[in-house]
Amino acid sequence: MDNGYSPTILQGQHTNDDEILAKTPLDPKALGGDSSVIIMELLQRFKVRDVMKRQIISVARTASLREAQRLMRENRISGLPVCEEGRLYGIVSVNDIITALDNGWIEDTCEKHMACNLVVLEAGMPISFALRYFNNYTYGRFPVLDSDRKLVGILSQRDVMRALLYELSVEIRKLERKTSNNVPVHVTGEHYFRREWAVVRNDLSRAGHAANDIKGILRERKVARSIARRVAVAAYELEINICIHSHGGVLVLLISDETITITAKDRGPGIPDIEWACRDGTSTANDWIRSLGFGAGMGLSNSKRVADSFDIQSEVGKFTKVTCTFNLNPPDPADGRAVAPRPPSQEGGAS
Amino acid sequence: MTIADVVKILDGKLMAGDGTSPRAVGAVVANDLMSDVLLNDADDILLLTSLASDQAIRTAHIVGAMGVVVHNAKPLSETMLKVAADLGVPLVSSPLSKYDACVRLHDAFLAEERG
Amino acid sequence: MTVAEVCAAVNGTVAVDVADAAATGVYVGDLLSDIMGHAGEDCALVTIQNHLNTIAVCTLVGCAVIVLCHNRPVPPDMAEAAAREGVAIVVTPLSQYAAARALSALPPAEH
Repeated sequence: MDNGYSPTILQGQHTNDDEILAKTPLDPKALGGDSSVIIMELLQRFKVRDVMKRQIISVARTASLREAQRLMRENRISGLPVCEEGRLYGIVSVNDIITALDNGWIEDTCEKHMACNLVVLEAGMPISFALRYFNNYTYGRFPVLDSDRKLVGILSQRDVMRALLYELSVEIRKLERKTSNNVPVHVTGEHYFRREWAVVRNDLSRAGHAANDIKGILRERKVARSIARRVAVAAYELEINICIHSHGGVLVLLISDETITITAKDRGPGIPDIEWACRDGTSTANDWIRSLGFGAGMGLSNSKRVADSFDIQSEVGKFTKVTCTFNLNPPDPADGRAVAPRPPSQEGGAS
Repeated sequence: MTIADVVKILDGKLMAGDGTSPRAVGAVVANDLMSDVLLNDADDILLLTSLASDQAIRTAHIVGAMGVVVHNAKPLSETMLKVAADLGVPLVSSPLSKYDACVRLHDAFLAEERG
Repeated sequence: MTVAEVCAAVNGTVAVDVADAAATGVYVGDLLSDIMGHAGEDCALVTIQNHLNTIAVCTLVGCAVIVLCHNRPVPPDMAEAAAREGVAIVVTPLSQYAAARALSALPPAEH
């Protein structure tokens, strides 16, 4: 079988992954810009063998270029390995076919015109390595050899892309779940929705837009109007609080099957006396804040009043974190834990 | 009493939002402190305020108010008009003071009741 | 209208009484800058601002009666300043709108 003929095979002399890793440090620039840690980790963790196509369509050395052309057309591929019993001898590309047609040697054997100066990948190489190959060479695909130098697969850019997209979505889903777990509530439902807004200190021109967005989201998701209003009120008060009292922070909306949670976390200065701060009418607001319609000292007590459960944590000099939770499925849907009547007075009706 | 009626009663001018909305005033809230407005549980609030700022509109949106009236013909900023248009909150400018507006609205409600 | 008339009209309680304090008009407002700019002299100020600065503003514009809505508590420093400056405070459970309605039912003010 082997008549001594062998193609020139160019490849790294890597025998194990550690060696490859050592030679390909995680350099974001090499991978095309500021890749995130997760993406770099993915590129390193995934090996060529995880991603490559294992079904190899190949031709024998003695097959004609016409036969190669037929296989390429039928399988819609633009390169065909020339391979016998696992051993790779060369590659026939579309270009070779075109040249053969032009020059009238389409009936010649593949062996005569195939490229045998080949660049190959090893099955154990990380994907980052393969990406570098795609970058450095103009080939659209590489044959993949195992440690016994047998052809075990073909890797195209499309294979890499498809695998990465799939794995990325898995990773992102994991991340989302992790972030939501940071919120100290049970997220029992499998399906949830999370969004976060940055709240800038003293930017009252924007303050409130997160709460308005939240109200819109809840309306879109067909959350009961009375619940949506309570959630939006809490979100608004907490957003304003971050804006006027803190160094800035974030407002987070989390909707699960059972609950809606609004979390407001800021970067300080913290509240020395939480009990005092939660009392109606107590305020550290100045006249500037009052002139803008806030600072009546109702913020925290308002949020607490509308929420089904309320939690506040604060460390002076560090942070304040307020969590308001709302039940979406109150035990008695008839009353739905309607907002407690405002003590002690009644708002004027229309007539 | 629709927002169009409110415009008429308060000698006002519709500055933003849908002036043909069929929603009727459910309750009148005269307040400049938005936290206090947020405390309110009534539906279809007409908010009378002297607070000529985005916050009045945002608050109105949160409580699902049917309209906002700004008093004393206070100048309204472009951004306030834009926020009102974006959030779909009818915004009315009235030359009346809040007190006079309260009284006129009250009289109008009484007239409505008498048919 | 006298403090007693105002108090009865809004179903309130007198938190700070001042003899001879009276009003001939009404202004409804919660923003101190707005009150300063628009409230007329001898107005009853219908507000929710239970703050020391409200007394300062009343002194400036010449309001002798404050109607504090929604049963807002009167902080001690506000009560002290009110007594010192001759500003009566009536606390009512009513909203500003309801208080305005109630006061409009009083005999027409002499201007």
